[in-house]
Amino acid sequence: MHPGLEWYLSLSAVLFVIGLIGVLTRRNVLVIFMCVEMMLNAVNISFIAFGRAISSATGQVFALFVITVAAAEAAVGLAIVIALARRQDTVDVGRIDTLRE
Amino acid sequence: MSGDIFFAIFGGLAALTSLLVVLQRNPTHSALFLVMSFLNVACIYVLLGAEFVAVTQIIVYTGAVLVLFLFAIMLVRMEDLPEMYGGHPVQRFVGPILGLALFLEILAVILSTVPLGAAGPFTPENITALGGNTQALGRSLYGDFLVPFEISSLVLLVGAIGAIVLARPDYTASRDREIGSLFTISLGHPQESTIATPSVYTVRRDEQLILHAEEETETAGEAIKR
Repeated sequence: MHPGLEWYLSLSAVLFVIGLIGVLTRRNVLVIFMCVEMMLNAVNISFIAFGRAISSATGQVFALFVITVAAAEAAVGLAIVIALARRQDTVDVGRIDTLRE
Repeated sequence: MSGDIFFAIFGGLAALTSLLVVLQRNPTHSALFLVMSFLNVACIYVLLGAEFVAVTQIIVYTGAVLVLFLFAIMLVRMEDLPEMYGGHPVQRFVGPILGLALFLEILAVILSTVPLGAAGPFTPENITALGGNTQALGRSLYGDFLVPFEISSLVLLVGAIGAIVLARPDYTASRDREIGSLFTISLGHPQESTIATPSVYTVRRDEQLILHAEEETETAGEAIKR
C-alpha cells in the first residue's frame, strides 16, 4: 500500500528545513535562490499530499499556481542578481550593504 | 508495499540531493544537484497520483528554471566564497539550530493532529471514471479556479517584462561612470571607456584623482575599478 499522509508531510518538512538552513547559512545569492526554490517544492509536496488525503484536486491546482509563481520569481530574481553583479561585482550577500553606509 | 519502497528511495534521494545543494561549495554543482532533487520530487508527485504536476515540474523546473540558473551562474563572475569554512560563524551555528527547531515543531504538529477538510469529489474511482488525473485537474482548474488561472498568466507576463527591464544594461550607471567620455559617442555599453582625461576626473572624482594622478596611461575603466 501507499505510505500515509504523515510520511509525505514529514518529507516535505525535511526538504523545507534543508532549504531554510541553506538560506540562513549560505552566502552566495544564487545558492540562496536555489534553496528558496527547494522550499517552494517542499510546500508543493504538502499541497498535493493534503489534496489526495481529502480526494480533491485543489491541492494539485495550487501546486500548479506555485510552480507558475516560482517561474516568474526565478526570472525576476535572477535578473536582479545579474543587475546587482553588474553594479557591485559580487554575489556575496554579506557585501551588499549600500544602504548601511 | 512497493509504494513504501519507492517512497523511501525517492524521498531519501530527494533529501540527500537537497542536502548536497546546501553543502556544495561550487554553485554549478549545487545547480546540478538541484536538478536531481527536482526530479526526485517529481517522482514523489507521481507516487501521490499527480502525474500532470510531475510532468509540469520536470518541464518548468528542470527544463526552464535550472537553465536560467546556469545562465545566471555563467553571466555572473563567480568568486570562491568561504561558505562553510570561515566567514560568518554566527550564521553557521544559528542556521542549523533554527532549522532543527522548526523541524521539530512541524513534526510535533504532524504527529499530534492533522486537521482535514470535507472530502472532495475526486476519489480514485471517480478519477478513473473521468479518464485520469489530467482530466480531473482540468475540471477543477477550468471550473472553480478559472479567474486565478487567468491572473497567473498575468503574473507570468509581468514577470517576463520585469526581468527584461531589470537585466537590461544599466544606462544611468554607465552614464555616471563614463563622465570622462562626455565628448564621445556612447552606445550605452557599460564597458570601460578608453579616453582617460585626468582633468575631467578632477571635477567629479576627487579620491580617485589622488590615487591615480600619476598613472596616466591607465584606462578609465581600470581606474574606476580600484
